[in-house]
Order: sequence, then structure tokens, then C-alpha cells
Amino acid sequence: MSDVRTLDQGHAPERFARGWHCLGLASTFADRKPHAIEAFGTKLVVWADTQGELNVLDGYCRHMGGDLTQGSVKGDEIACPFHDWRWGGDGKCKTIPYARRVPLRARTQRYETAIVNDQLLVWHDTEGSKADHDILPPQLPGLDEGLYTDWQWSSEHIEGSHCRELIDNVVDMAHFYYVHFAFPTSFRNVFEGHIATQFMESKGRPDKTEGYGDAELFLKSEATYYGPSYMINWLDTDYKGFNTEVILVNCHIPTGPDSFLLQYGITVKKPEGLDDKTTDFIATKYAEMFGSGFLQDVHIWKNKVPVQNPLLCEEDGPVYQLRRWYEQFYVDQAEVKGEMVDRFEFEVDTTKANEYWQDEVAENLRLKAEEDAASESAAESAGAEGEPSLMSGT
Amino acid sequence: MASFVPTSADTLEDQRLYTRARLTEVACLDCLACVGVKKNSEHHTSVQWDDEAKRHCPEMSRRDRLDGRAVTPACPRLVASIEAAARDGRIPIGAEDGY
Repeated sequence: MSDVRTLDQGHAPERFARGWHCLGLASTFADRKPHAIEAFGTKLVVWADTQGELNVLDGYCRHMGGDLTQGSVKGDEIACPFHDWRWGGDGKCKTIPYARRVPLRARTQRYETAIVNDQLLVWHDTEGSKADHDILPPQLPGLDEGLYTDWQWSSEHIEGSHCRELIDNVVDMAHFYYVHFAFPTSFRNVFEGHIATQFMESKGRPDKTEGYGDAELFLKSEATYYGPSYMINWLDTDYKGFNTEVILVNCHIPTGPDSFLLQYGITVKKPEGLDDKTTDFIATKYAEMFGSGFLQDVHIWKNKVPVQNPLLCEEDGPVYQLRRWYEQFYVDQAEVKGEMVDRFEFEVDTTKANEYWQDEVAENLRLKAEEDAASESAAESAGAEGEPSLMSGT
Repeated sequence: MASFVPTSADTLEDQRLYTRARLTEVACLDCLACVGVKKNSEHHTSVQWDDEAKRHCPEMSRRDRLDGRAVTPACPRLVASIEAAARDGRIPIGAEDGY
């Protein structure tokens, strides 16, 4: 046996995860037009019926395969552009205008829906089980009461990576320093049932905010996956003594065996005494920061390989336990083992890492000061204040 | 049906090492819960529960999922029991090549 460590790239699963998946803000589907969503290796059609209820079906007509997303909404139904077959939100064909009767077997794949936090969620299970409403992500208190800004919603197509790469971040303490430029000073995980949580406290790296010596940004983050694809991240931020409560929803839809649509939404609790415009501005700023944070991750994913046998050091988080938890969504319900859902708690010792990182940053700052001194005469350009590095639990 | 399929037998051994090796049984000083504990350093702690332990722990069964955040924090009595066990030298402290 060779003592050279090899990477086991393994095989990605053939199925898509069982559970609730968010398709986007419900308001984007309300216009009585058909909407196309790539998901679960196919295309879905989403439309609002006359009551404003959102319906989701497989996007291809069971007659001759016409693309329903290019059809039109007629009454409560979606009409196929090919032969005008009319499909209802319950998955049944209601009318074929040119036919005497509808075949009894005219039933297509429908997806059960739920609206949570102004977003449209659908239940997916290859086994065809009924939707489990008990494991829906929670409705955020105060959202309906107008205590938060409107969601700032963004999405990003990721090609060439399985969505488990995104999940791995739940336990990846050190990447917050290297990829996202923050010092994680405290880092814990709890996995239990269908829930996986990361608790993190961090502060921004002063050496990574251009022209900005002492960005003092502290972050207390609690990020929980409710099932395989929907994470709520509560972020208490303290920037120069100004506290903001930010909520980030990070969710994704698997589109193919190695592709997914990453989506994220930001809302900010409206601070007392600030007008809506200022609050929206703060939310936009945070949305931009998190957006660029995700792009830092995306760059890594695009260039890395999958690995089934990561080699860990003492300062790493519980990657194997997280993946064992994640596995429950990829096996038949009857095959879910106790160890996949049993409670597991983990606390990373960040002491050694932070000692090293503090030294490294101090050295970076020293080098930068030298450079600055050398090019002082040329550095009179009116640079904007750098944005502090700020990271979510992703 | 298998999902993420490793292609090497060594990977299965890695999975065992990282998730199950070196877990020391620690009994709670206040209830009948018994969990598996690993400590790679003074500060690092890994706690593996099973169904039975959870049923015994009044803290776990009492707390329902409130405030929307759902996650149940660590049981303070169990944390104290683990700290006591570590102090008494009943939990070996240190990592074996990272696991």
C-alpha cells in the first residue's frame, strides 16, 4: 500500500434531495403568466390561478411533450401552446377543447406548495411521498408585521458542482478566514433530525479592507438548514457600535447532477428612528456584501474537485458528521438510519488558528504600511472608504 | 439505494475513524443519559447522542422548538458532566492524526 493520500472523488447521487425547496419570492409568480423554473433535472411551470394560489407542475405536457412554460394561463389552468390541453394545479387535465372527453389517465407530476417568509416552496421526493408540512422552515416573526425591509433577492446559476459543496460550508471554519476574510473566533455545530446549525462569532480582517486600517466589524451568526436546501441565517452585526439585525436566507434548487441554482435573500430589521429609505440602503449594502461573499465561494467550487474522503486536521469542523446528516435526504425514507438524524454537537478549538492568523494579518499590515510609505506621493487619489469584510454562515 | 458512493474501501474506514473512533462514554451526573464524547484539545468537544440518551435527558425532551430558530442548545448539566469527566482524566485529550 502506498502512503500517498489519494482523493476519492466518488459518484454523485442519482436522485435529488427529498424535502422543501424554495423557488423564489412568491410575488415574482403572481402576474398570471407561466414561469419556467429549472429544477430536479427537468423544467417546472409555475402560475397563479384566479384565486392567486400558486401552482407548480412539471413543465412538459403529457400529451405530446409541449412546453407549458411557453403556454398561457386560461382561467385557473395552464394551457399548452401545442394543442391547448388545459392542466389544473392538482395535476389533472381539465379540458381538451377539441376533444369529446379527457383521458382518465391525463394526470401529470404536480408539486405540493407552501408559502413561507413570502417565498414559494415546493416539496420534492423521488418516492412520491406526501409533503411533510411539519418540517417546513419557520415563518420569521415580525416579517408579516412590517418590522423588516422587503427581501432583496438574488440568484446565481452554478455549473459543474454538486450542491453538497454549498452544504459543506456549514462546518468549514477555516474557509471563513481564507475565502471570506473574517476571523472566526467561536465556531460550533449542532445536527439533529432534519436540522443542521452553525453558530459562529467573527470579526473582519483589517488587512483585507483596502485603505481602511481598523474596520471593526463583529458578527454573531446562527445559521440553520431546515432540510436539505433552505437555510436561515440570523446575523447580529456590530459595525463601529452600530447594531443591525440582518436575516439572510440561503437556498438552492438542484437543477442537474452537478448544477444548481443558488438563491439568497436579505432582509434587515428596521432600526427605530430610521426612515425606510435609509434602512433599505443598509439592506442593499449588506446584500452586496453577501453577494460578493457567495461569489468567493463560487470561484472555489468551479475549480475544485469533489472529495468523498476529505483529510482533516484538528482545527477542522465535523465534515463527515455533516455529510452523514445530509445523506438522509438522498436515501428512501425507510433507509434513514438513526446515526443520520441523531443529535451531534461539536465545538471547534479556534485558539491555535486565531493565534496564527492574527500574526499573519499583523505581518500583512506591516508590509502594507511599508508599501504605502514608499508610494506615499502617488497615493493621493480620493479613494472611497473600503467596505468591511463581512461574512455569513455560508 | 446508495447516494454519494465512495470508490475506495479506505473511504469507508475514514468515515468510521472520523465519526466513531475514540468516543468515550460519559454518563450525565443528573440523569440517565449517556453520550459519546471526544476531545481533541481542552476546548474542542464532540458529543454524539443517540435516541435513548435524548429520551433520558429532561432538558432535551422539555424544550420544544420555540422562537422559530428550532435548534436546541447544549444541555448545561451534560456540559458540566463532560467537563467534570475531562477534569478527572476520564476523557483522553488529544487528536490522533487529526481525528
